Amino acid sequence: MASTFGSLSTALSALTYSRAAMDVASGNIANADTDGYTRRRIEAAATGAPTTPAMWSRYDGHGDGVTVTGVTRMSDELLVARVRTEHGQQNLADVSQTGLQDLESAVNEPSSTGVSAALTSFRTAWHDVVNNPVPGSSARNVVLSRAQGLVAAIGTQSRAVAATMKTQVQKLQSTLAETNSVATGLANTNTAIAAGKLGGVDVSDLLDTRDRLTLRLSELTGATSTLRPNGEADVSIGGVPLVLGNKASTVAITAGVSASGTPDGNPVSFTVTAPSGTASALPTISAGDAGGSVNLLNVTLPAYQQGLDTVARQLADTVNAQHQLGYDAAGNAGNAMFSYDPTSPAASLTVAITDPSRIAASSVPGGGTDSANADALGAAAGVDASYRQLVAGLGTSVQTAQRASANQRVLTSQFDNAHEQLAGVNIDEETVALMQNQRSYEAAAKVMSTIDSMLDTLINRMLA
Amino acid sequence: MSIGRVTQRMMSGHALAGLQTSLAQLATTQEQISTGRILNRPSDSPNDTAAAMQLNGALAESAQHQRNGADGLGWLGQVDTALASGGSQLLNAQDVVTRGLNGVMLGSSARNALAGELDGLRTGLLDAANTKYGGRPVFAGVTAGTAAYDQSGTFVGTAGAVNRTVGDGVRVRVDVDATSAFGPAGSSVFDHLAAAATAMRAGDATGLRTALTSIQADFTRLTDARALAGSSSNRISAAISAAGAHDLQMQTSLSTLQDTDLPRAAVDLQMRTMAYQAALGATSKALTPSLMDYLR
Repeated sequence: MASTFGSLSTALSALTYSRAAMDVASGNIANADTDGYTRRRIEAAATGAPTTPAMWSRYDGHGDGVTVTGVTRMSDELLVARVRTEHGQQNLADVSQTGLQDLESAVNEPSSTGVSAALTSFRTAWHDVVNNPVPGSSARNVVLSRAQGLVAAIGTQSRAVAATMKTQVQKLQSTLAETNSVATGLANTNTAIAAGKLGGVDVSDLLDTRDRLTLRLSELTGATSTLRPNGEADVSIGGVPLVLGNKASTVAITAGVSASGTPDGNPVSFTVTAPSGTASALPTISAGDAGGSVNLLNVTLPAYQQGLDTVARQLADTVNAQHQLGYDAAGNAGNAMFSYDPTSPAASLTVAITDPSRIAASSVPGGGTDSANADALGAAAGVDASYRQLVAGLGTSVQTAQRASANQRVLTSQFDNAHEQLAGVNIDEETVALMQNQRSYEAAAKVMSTIDSMLDTLINRMLA
Repeated sequence: MSIGRVTQRMMSGHALAGLQTSLAQLATTQEQISTGRILNRPSDSPNDTAAAMQLNGALAESAQHQRNGADGLGWLGQVDTALASGGSQLLNAQDVVTRGLNGVMLGSSARNALAGELDGLRTGLLDAANTKYGGRPVFAGVTAGTAAYDQSGTFVGTAGAVNRTVGDGVRVRVDVDATSAFGPAGSSVFDHLAAAATAMRAGDATGLRTALTSIQADFTRLTDARALAGSSSNRISAAISAAGAHDLQMQTSLSTLQDTDLPRAAVDLQMRTMAYQAALGATSKALTPSLMDYLR
């Protein structure tokens, strides 16, 4: 049989529990829109008979109230890990898509001002020379100025590729800077979690911070995380550890970028330097923002530049070969029409002829008005096809990147949703919890006043 | 994936994503209408982009071919005029020689007058042979000079064809080889006229008869050359009109590839605007209520 005042303490435990539950609900409501907040649920247990039976002290109560056994963070580590992976892939796809779209708009095709139009107008200009090959004819000047225009169009495109590469290098550098600072933040959070766990403090908020930081690291570099039993997170990129407990390493670019911040033609690669000074090579980063930039810098953009170089080389070589077969207005053998530096044909392409009378329109020596060579120059259209192929190839890769990004978005949002279903705050739910606990607080108070009036009857009325 | 719990954040996230999607579709349609093109960048359709670039190139080339053709027609017109005038002068020359033959008994002064007439016709024929188009003598081949024949009737041009490209791989010769029009060096129409004048002055009937035969052959040669030029002219005209018809086809294909179908785009725009408005309306309805509205 319970003691006289036993029921009062039962009611008190209910008051305490209700207060705690309302605390948790109000915390959830307050953070309903906080990024990275995981909903908490209060766990309660009825206080009753001791679980270990004693021989002579028999428990004869009927439950002694309620006790708070803990606050659960509604998170599923497996799901969170999956969310991290998908976010890393999402950022990879997004950065690739944006970079390619930048390049695509710089290519400016199909248009009346692009390289394709310049190639056509250069070619048709030769026909006017055929029609009017005499020295000093304006058609000769037109060929030269169209050649200049073509060189300018190819040069503009080449510079646009270089500018896109430079932008990606800057983006990569800022991504790595943020990665390093987030890694330091995570190491500090790990320290706090370990200390908090030892001290028996509720570390839910720190765990939220930890999840937010590991997610950010995955978004930045596609890093993967593993959790230690005490809640600390270890993070590694491509198998190389970045954060180990309370120690954060730093990632830096070691190859592929010159001191001035421009790509030097080599593939970009990295090293991870531990606080102890040990450096480990990280050949590539294959996901996250950094992965997207690396992919653009190492594969996509150089491939386009190479294609453009091939077009420029093919143009210069075919035109030069045909031009050198001919004879200019004075009857001398033709020189090369274009010159270029073989290491970077598109960027260095220039028109080598400045004097219109040096245009070798004639196919016979002697300075006549024959123009069969100009006719042959106007008929060579192989470069157009190569360029069309290059542009169509770029269009296809942009389209592929757009589709990849859109598909990944569906997957990412599915996992985000699954995580939100578990960890998100529903205000209605919390309101109901609030009401429920308000009522149970009132009921417990009622229990107190009932016991009180019962005792009043017993103590004050019985003796009168 | 079934939805177990729905949170307010999820709803607002979904609503925003949905609004973004319909707004993006609206922007695409709007771009197609405002630029008038469905092909604004290679990724809109890589294959169509390549095809449009090729068609644009082919159209520019076709325009150039038509320009070449027009220039060629100018050349051939000039050639035709020159040969026509040359032909009539040769007929006159035959007439004069025949008159000389019929009147061998004429006095030397009359013969000299006829010879003078022949000299005049020869000069006229030389002028016709030196006809120019755009500053270039049309019978002088690929010479850089300004004449096909000098005053002695010697060819001073450079043999060679003047061609115009009037279609892909279609080259038409727009000048006439001087030899085929006026005869080979040493036996040209000018030599024959000079010989006729000499024979006329000398009263040499045999010489005149030989000259008459030669001039008649020269006339046939000239007419043949003129017919050849005429047929070239026809070929160019045919090529130009074919190119014009082909242009139209290419324009149509290009338009199908890259131009916006306006009525359809307008209907799309209307539908997407409605969809966007519906999404906005649904969002405002779905995000407002919470249990708080019903508790007191």
